[in-house]
Amino acid sequence: MSPFTEDELKQKVHEGYMVEGPDDMTEGYRKALRVQLTVQADTELMSAPSYWMAARYAPSTNTQVSAHAIIQDELAHANIAYRLLEDIGESKEQLVYGRQPHEFKHPYGFDQPLDNWADLVVANGFFDRAGITLLSDVYQNTSYAPLKRALVKIDMEETFHLRHGEVWMRRLSKAGGEARELLQRSVDWMFPMTIEWFGLPDDLKRHSGQLDYKLKGLSNDQLRQVWMSSTVPLCEELGLEAPAHWDEEKQEYALDYPFPCQYDAGEKRWLFDEGEITWDDVFERWKGRGPMNEIYVESVQRSRSDVARWFEARAAA
Amino acid sequence: MREITYEVFARKDRGDPLVHIGYIDAFDDETAKVYAWKTYDEERWFEMCVVQREAIVPVTDGEGLFAQLRRAHG
Repeated sequence: MSPFTEDELKQKVHEGYMVEGPDDMTEGYRKALRVQLTVQADTELMSAPSYWMAARYAPSTNTQVSAHAIIQDELAHANIAYRLLEDIGESKEQLVYGRQPHEFKHPYGFDQPLDNWADLVVANGFFDRAGITLLSDVYQNTSYAPLKRALVKIDMEETFHLRHGEVWMRRLSKAGGEARELLQRSVDWMFPMTIEWFGLPDDLKRHSGQLDYKLKGLSNDQLRQVWMSSTVPLCEELGLEAPAHWDEEKQEYALDYPFPCQYDAGEKRWLFDEGEITWDDVFERWKGRGPMNEIYVESVQRSRSDVARWFEARAAA
Repeated sequence: MREITYEVFARKDRGDPLVHIGYIDAFDDETAKVYAWKTYDEERWFEMCVVQREAIVPVTDGEGLFAQLRRAHG
């Protein structure tokens, strides 16, 4: 049990105290950390089947290798995050193999199909950049020492994924014609998808404890700005249309569409014309999960019970 | 399929300190070697080794991570 009260621990972590293990934590800290690590682990895990199914569109053996290297990294990151959860009393077995598809906590973007090579490289360029944005903030600010140490490796590898995405976005953009059209199409659905990923705007944000316990440093709106500050210039450089611009007056990036808005998952198209919706509508859409949710989760879970049965049969014999 | 937790230690270059870089779950030493090498592949390690977590004897019984983990999980 923690030697501190909740308020004492909140104060101490803001003074630089690093939490090393379960004995240092209050129940509130453990719960907030569990939520954060579950989202992190589930996101890394579900990116793997999403990228894996898209890797078949790789245009060469070299690109097959890079695409699968990225998938391998993502699985290792997931594994590390689930191990961190075990140290605070959760079961990796239950989290990975004992949950229904809709119970995973990854963002809605990883419930969507990646249908061609352009989708995969923009996912690397946009989704992995969102990952780096979120995890760099955690690395710089977290009060949980084991996570900070684990993030050194993760950050290094996510930077490679991002570079892979950018290099290929540049290449497809230069190719012009159909390649460029497909690239723009990917940007059209993935830009708003990533913007939404960062969650509720600060003025509506429910109290999560993650800032109080110093598990992260920046708010959702600040993180969204960090992501746009590199993504919008990249799109501009490549001559791609991104629905956001720099607002001189406010000195921040502003979106050029109603936010949040509805998404047609079947058409992979945002319904800008239908105007702004509420965040309750967004949560309802997220809760319903996207078209690939069950397929991706099933692809991760499917062989576990068969193989476990073989071992159990041998042990019983 | 009961797995064992292994701590992973590695030295980046000749002359560097041996550093705790993470941990993995594996069935035995042989699979632990493979999982550690494949999971922590962010560097070309000069030396890497794995140690079963339960073989680690904390010398300081205070607030360090391994002492805490031993208290929490036995």
